[in-house]
Amino acid sequence: MFDAALSALSSLADPSLLIMLAIGVFAGLVMGLIPGLGGTGAVAILMPITFGMQPEQAFALLIGALAVVHTSDTVSAVLLGAPGSASASVTMLDGYAMARKGQAKRALSLAFLSSMAGGLIGALGLTLAIPLARPLVLSFASPELFMLTVLGVSLAAVLSRGNIVKGLLAGFLGLLLGQVGTSPTTAEERFTFGSLFLGDGLSLVAVALGIFGLAEIASRVGQRTVDKDMVGLGGGWMSGIKEWLTHWSQVIRGALIGIWAGVLPGVGATAGTWLAYGQAVATAKDKRNFGKGDPRGIVGPESSNNSVEAGDLIPTLLFGIPGGVPSAMLLGMLLTYGIQPGPAIVTEHLNLMYLIVWCFAIASILGAFLCFLATPSLAKLTKVPFAVLGAGLLVIMLLGAFQEGGQIGDLWIMIILGAVGWLMKATDTPRAPFLIGFVLAIPMERYYYLTDSLYDGLGWLTRPGVLVFLAVLIAPALLALVKRTRKSAPDLGHRGEDDLSHGEEDEAEDGQLKDSIWSLGLALGVTLIFGTALAVSQSFSAEAQLMPRLVSIGGLITGLILLWKELRARRSIGDGPGWTHDVTIAMRMFAAMALFLVLVMLGGYLLAVALFVPAFLLFVARATPRTTIIYTLVLCAVLLTLPSILPVDLPTGLLQS
Amino acid sequence: MPPCWPAGCSTPPASTTDGDYAGETVEFLIPLAEGGGTDTWARFIGTELTRTVPGQPGFAPVNEAGGEGITGTNRFVVSARADGTEVLVSTATTVVPWLLKKPAVRYDFTKLTPILANGTGAVVYARSAAGVAGLKDLVDRQTPLKFGGITATGLDLTTLLAFDLLEMDVDAVFGFEGRGPVNLALQRGEIDIDYTTTSTYASALKPLVDEKSAVALFSLGQVDAQGEIVRDPNFKDLPTVVEAYEELHGSKPSGPKLEAYKTVLGVTYTYQKALWVPPDTPKEASETLRTSAEKLGKDEAFQTAAKKVLGGYPLDASADLVGRITKAYEVDSTVRQHIVELLKNSYNINVE
Repeated sequence: MFDAALSALSSLADPSLLIMLAIGVFAGLVMGLIPGLGGTGAVAILMPITFGMQPEQAFALLIGALAVVHTSDTVSAVLLGAPGSASASVTMLDGYAMARKGQAKRALSLAFLSSMAGGLIGALGLTLAIPLARPLVLSFASPELFMLTVLGVSLAAVLSRGNIVKGLLAGFLGLLLGQVGTSPTTAEERFTFGSLFLGDGLSLVAVALGIFGLAEIASRVGQRTVDKDMVGLGGGWMSGIKEWLTHWSQVIRGALIGIWAGVLPGVGATAGTWLAYGQAVATAKDKRNFGKGDPRGIVGPESSNNSVEAGDLIPTLLFGIPGGVPSAMLLGMLLTYGIQPGPAIVTEHLNLMYLIVWCFAIASILGAFLCFLATPSLAKLTKVPFAVLGAGLLVIMLLGAFQEGGQIGDLWIMIILGAVGWLMKATDTPRAPFLIGFVLAIPMERYYYLTDSLYDGLGWLTRPGVLVFLAVLIAPALLALVKRTRKSAPDLGHRGEDDLSHGEEDEAEDGQLKDSIWSLGLALGVTLIFGTALAVSQSFSAEAQLMPRLVSIGGLITGLILLWKELRARRSIGDGPGWTHDVTIAMRMFAAMALFLVLVMLGGYLLAVALFVPAFLLFVARATPRTTIIYTLVLCAVLLTLPSILPVDLPTGLLQS
Repeated sequence: MPPCWPAGCSTPPASTTDGDYAGETVEFLIPLAEGGGTDTWARFIGTELTRTVPGQPGFAPVNEAGGEGITGTNRFVVSARADGTEVLVSTATTVVPWLLKKPAVRYDFTKLTPILANGTGAVVYARSAAGVAGLKDLVDRQTPLKFGGITATGLDLTTLLAFDLLEMDVDAVFGFEGRGPVNLALQRGEIDIDYTTTSTYASALKPLVDEKSAVALFSLGQVDAQGEIVRDPNFKDLPTVVEAYEELHGSKPSGPKLEAYKTVLGVTYTYQKALWVPPDTPKEASETLRTSAEKLGKDEAFQTAAKKVLGGYPLDASADLVGRITKAYEVDSTVRQHIVELLKNSYNINVE
């Protein structure tokens, strides 16, 4: 075993392999930077190049890319509040908060170093887990997998900032939205209103970028100048490394959770990053800073989302069961080279297995190192006024969301969800549980249904694994509840402080519109949605209506509780803010986004950008004509060249064909 | 969605009728997402085929995923250029909805021209611990066997028709994510009976048979040129469904159940993956593609390189392919009716 590992390492001395690995790493980093492309995009662009290569070179290329995608996808989540994947939304909680405090460089350094360590530990875990993988995978039956999805959503609801009722409501809403499309159990269409486009369900990238990214643009576009304290604080690379080293135990714990979760096909990767965050919160003595820029909230999840990729390779290689799209593509590659995945791969292709492990480890180091070096320049992005940044961001995010299905409809959904996300942000409703609910809705339904059909009665609730998950599920909820009741008095005082600080324009904290007509309206609207969904779901078959009904009833109850709380707050505090300046700006921004989409539908993407971006820069961002011209020209040039170098398609308009 | 550049839109019509594709680009419409089995297959075959076609045209795979493959295929029949430069990739995912005449389907395989086909096969197996040692344990059981499926209106349909033909005692549970998770569920003892296609046989079933925790029961078989079910060349030692019937019931199967099984087996396995061009494509253009594919399929270097991609079944592009495919894809209305009723009565699924 040891000899094989060394001989695989020596084969990496071959310069052609190293070059392939470096190309893979570079492609993976670039793909990760653009929200929406990620691992799927990286493997899609690289796969055609690999036909005709030796298997070793092909794997060096692909593993190089896969290992680093989750290193660089942190950048947009931390700097811009726009996570391109469900797992990056976890890092965003504390990473973005830290960046907004002017410590972007610190946040990124911590994230990159943790990614590197996560990748390394993941590679090691990949080696060690091979003999353990089979019993581990086989011990997780449908009931355990179901519990894992429940745990993922509820952890997100309990641990995100904002109160639990709002968190749960957001989680239920995400679960409901995730059920739009074809039911996993009976293949009938739900909530699609006869549309083939909705039949596939909503695109994850469009939902993630809408609910976070576009909402962020709308709420910050009012800033034409940069907050003084947003400029990156000093501190050399060494101080970054030093701080990171103090969190070593979080790094290791995060990585181990990542490997474990990655091994479970399907549900692991998303729930795993949340579990890493959850354990960081649960084991911390002082929990006050979580969600406000606590380094421990960055280190654990970042370490885990890289080791998840390594863990994911275990079922792919040993069972031929990929956990995500990127590993599915890798599996396709294996088959074209005549390498049969399965337990025998360890004996028949041991050298290749170790080559994969080494490539993963080297790529993790290389990728994190490159990102780490680039941190100071990346952090400068926060110095650009958001209004100026907003135009380009909008163009890139919409383009990213278009790539998944090539549907303009996805972009409309993205803008609608952007408005919902903005309202949630403004009313202090956590959005992470919404996204996690959306991602885990189908697996949750699938494994609930399978559990229900394959086991008699409720006997499955007493399986040891299920009991452990139940304990993990209930313990933090109880703790949080105890803490809330204890802390409720100082909490009120804290809110008073928040209100005071709103006088300063640049301190645009979340939740300006809470306890107002807006939050009341949101609670009412969401409650009505659940009521309607409950009514609509009556027309589905008995099996297909099971989950929508449970979710709608849960959502309805939570919504009514929230409504009651809102009404009570109105009585005690008063009407709260009404139609504020920020609301006007956000409304205008969403109208502008809709106008942009109309332009796209008429004249195609390039033309729409050439018209919209200069107008936006001149009239909204009040940029100088010179900046406007250069900005627009560069953006158009990028859009013109992009399709020939990356697997990117531009939306075409009616007038073009 | 293909990018449509001003220059690209005004290209003059392709000159593909002279037996030379020089300067052209052949576009493959893959109606499914990147990375799946069909995508890998199409990209590999496309790369090799365009190298063999005279004039060595360029190759452009285009994935248009959505609506379980229906969206992309619908788009193809409406707007594909009929000059041999746009080729449709089909697989069981798009064939079964067409077979069942789902309302969203606007394409008709009997109106398209096939270029080549590549089949696959499957083996049905059961968990030994569920009390299955051989075929006899499939009928007259005290507790029915639990079958794990993805959806009854997908590739599982063929296996369900086999169970129906054999009159087996099976309870089906659908909703699994893929065949891999079903295989794991069988190893955990959650389900009892499953099938595996030829390409995953070595990873999914062989280790289980070797350690005697599962038993391979029968193969789904292949449809030959006469439309009869014969043994699968990759599973020569296993009986086909027809042979299994004879062993269990002592007579040859016949009637609507057999007819339905034969038809569905042909379109979902023997001719599972295929390439098609629009009906108005000039015969010269489509024949250039087909003869190139035929030449490719006979090339020994290709056969070695493509062994795994083709899954042990030939690249079928001989001169009589059009005739055989036309026959296989002719679905009798009584066959369709039988399937629709089976789905409705046994699995509570309304297709119409």
